[in-house]
Amino acid sequence: MNQFGTILKFELLSYLKNKIFLGITIFLMVLIAGVMFFPRVSGLIIGGKNDASAQQELSVHDENTPVMAVYSDTPQQTELLCEAFTSAFPEYKVEAAKGEIADLKKQITSEEVECAFVMENLNSYTYYVNNLNMYDRNTAIADELLLNLYRMDAMSQEGVPGEKAAEILSLQINHETESLGVDQAQNYFYTYIMIMVLYMAILLYGQMVATNVATEKSSRAMELLITSAKPASMMFGKVIASCVAGIIQLVAVFGSAYLFYNMNKSMWGNNPIITSLFDMPLYLLAYMLIFFVLGFFVYAFLYGAIGSMASKVEDINTSVMPLTLLFIAAFFAVVFSMSSGNVDNMVMKVCSYIPFTSPMAMFTRIAMSTVPFYEVALSIAILIVSVFGIGIISAKIYRVGVLLYGTTPKFRAIIKAVRKA
Amino acid sequence: MKLELKNIEKSFGEKVVLKGISFFAHSGEAFGLLGRNGAGKTTTIRILMDVFPAENGNVLIDDAPINYNKIKIGYLPEERGLYPKKKIIDQLVYFAQLHGMKSKEAVKAADYWLERLDMTQYRNKRLDTLSKGNQQKIQLITALAHNPEIVILDEPFSGLDPVNAMLLKDVVKEEIAKGKIVLFSSHQMSYIEEFCSNIAIINQGEIVLKGNLHDIKHNYTRDKLILRSDREDDILSDLTGISSRTETGEVLIQLDSPDKKQEMMQYLTNKYDIDELKVFEPSLNDIFVEYTGGEEKGGKK
Repeated sequence: MNQFGTILKFELLSYLKNKIFLGITIFLMVLIAGVMFFPRVSGLIIGGKNDASAQQELSVHDENTPVMAVYSDTPQQTELLCEAFTSAFPEYKVEAAKGEIADLKKQITSEEVECAFVMENLNSYTYYVNNLNMYDRNTAIADELLLNLYRMDAMSQEGVPGEKAAEILSLQINHETESLGVDQAQNYFYTYIMIMVLYMAILLYGQMVATNVATEKSSRAMELLITSAKPASMMFGKVIASCVAGIIQLVAVFGSAYLFYNMNKSMWGNNPIITSLFDMPLYLLAYMLIFFVLGFFVYAFLYGAIGSMASKVEDINTSVMPLTLLFIAAFFAVVFSMSSGNVDNMVMKVCSYIPFTSPMAMFTRIAMSTVPFYEVALSIAILIVSVFGIGIISAKIYRVGVLLYGTTPKFRAIIKAVRKA
Repeated sequence: MKLELKNIEKSFGEKVVLKGISFFAHSGEAFGLLGRNGAGKTTTIRILMDVFPAENGNVLIDDAPINYNKIKIGYLPEERGLYPKKKIIDQLVYFAQLHGMKSKEAVKAADYWLERLDMTQYRNKRLDTLSKGNQQKIQLITALAHNPEIVILDEPFSGLDPVNAMLLKDVVKEEIAKGKIVLFSSHQMSYIEEFCSNIAIINQGEIVLKGNLHDIKHNYTRDKLILRSDREDDILSDLTGISSRTETGEVLIQLDSPDKKQEMMQYLTNKYDIDELKVFEPSLNDIFVEYTGGEEKGGKK
């Protein structure tokens, strides 16, 4: 235990004294500070705009206001439509098209006019735009407008007074959604961010552990280490040190994010992504930590064992490839399930009990669905047992591996040697 | 204190590396473990240090199985290497702590040894800024700083200049005088002859010769004479077939049996003017080559 403490302290200090480690941490903190202070600096209010002020703000047109052209067969109809469109599209300067359709197209490609509605009749039109934006809702607004115009017209023909017709048409249905489980849309962002963080941290630190072991081996410091300390102490010391270093880094980064967010809270208004991120429920944060630590251990031990097999630091990249691929596959399985919206599919259910995938899969399910507690407990129990199992096997591989120089041994030879050890 | 290895056997896969190694060494004496490359020395040392277990046999201290929590061992591996990018004092303290020293003790011990080996000026330097010989001195400190009862030095003199070699000799003598067991493994026979009272020669996983070095030399079949004279050429032609010239220029005479030596000595002194005539005693080098040479089947490490 004493030896383990010495190793842990030594390894942890070498992380904290490492210039690259410090550099990355400070860089991330500065980056986050930049993002969090952005609205204050730019003076822009992101999200939470007051509708009235937005309308007011945007109805003041100048030469930068995009132009929307309306084209129809008769000037009266054009005028009527222009009027209706002006109130429906406050962010545009709506005007009657100049010239024929061919001229209009040219004006659009030269960006003189941003978009145009060419009316065939009141029920049918062609919408022209240069580059169609993914979020372009103009046709939907126009459809509704035209539909309302048509209905008003129809109703007035049936003898319904105009005001009455407007009242009937302007009726809005109120609805509220109350999710009894979790709200996927709300949890999506932070689940995504957490999975991403877990992914990055395991890849980064796993590689660091592997490189660390391989460096000791190639510098032959191993000859002395292996005779000075128990392999299990070495392995656990190294892995736990890297885990602590990782958590310190994450706390520094997320802590500073939280701090900077609170300093600029008013500036962020009600931006849904940011607020959902910082309003993460505590129980999820706790699960996050549990799965992070356990998942980290599973992979870090294996990375350490692989590092002990390599004779040269240069060999590390190829040696860790299978493990990295396994991990990337797990990551993609989770991310695809997340974006499909169905996180309780069969693949995810199976994945949430396999120690290599469960940290990400089970966490995603907890965050984005409702999982019975016994399932979570079972998954965590399997993980804990695996961590110890993998830790002990890795320490054995380590003991065998560190004394092997030359060509990387074959997998079967390793198994044989480990059994004997 | 007596350190004893008893009938140690070890194989890696199909390959048998050690076939029953036994020897013992006492406190206050240096023991030489000799053998060609791949003979099994490093494996023996690793078993002694509990890096891996032997399939058979025991490591005993005063006839009881060794307790690695009590008995401290210092080791200078043949393959040198520490952390090249770390401060020297940090590494020395780290290794001393791994051997169970408290932080303050470790710093004190490291500073003592830096001073003793004339390395204090490098205390806060990175290891890779030092020359190879100086790095080796730092490595030596990791073997000695925690005041171990057993010191294992694998090729301690390779790479040292004569001045540093002298310094190391002094240190080794001090350690022996402090009553430690010093286990030498080396190919440089002159150093072994200088320090070690007892030796064991390992060849292909077996001890082919062991015991007190003086006795070994003395018990050698005394059937060779060594001779220096102005008339060496005449002697060589006189004793054709049994005489030859050695690499150092003397005449070596091979007798049929040891009891013929008196007769031969008289014959030679009566007939020729002799400067020097003595019974040939092999050097450790000769003994080593005799016991380990010839068979070119030596395995790999």
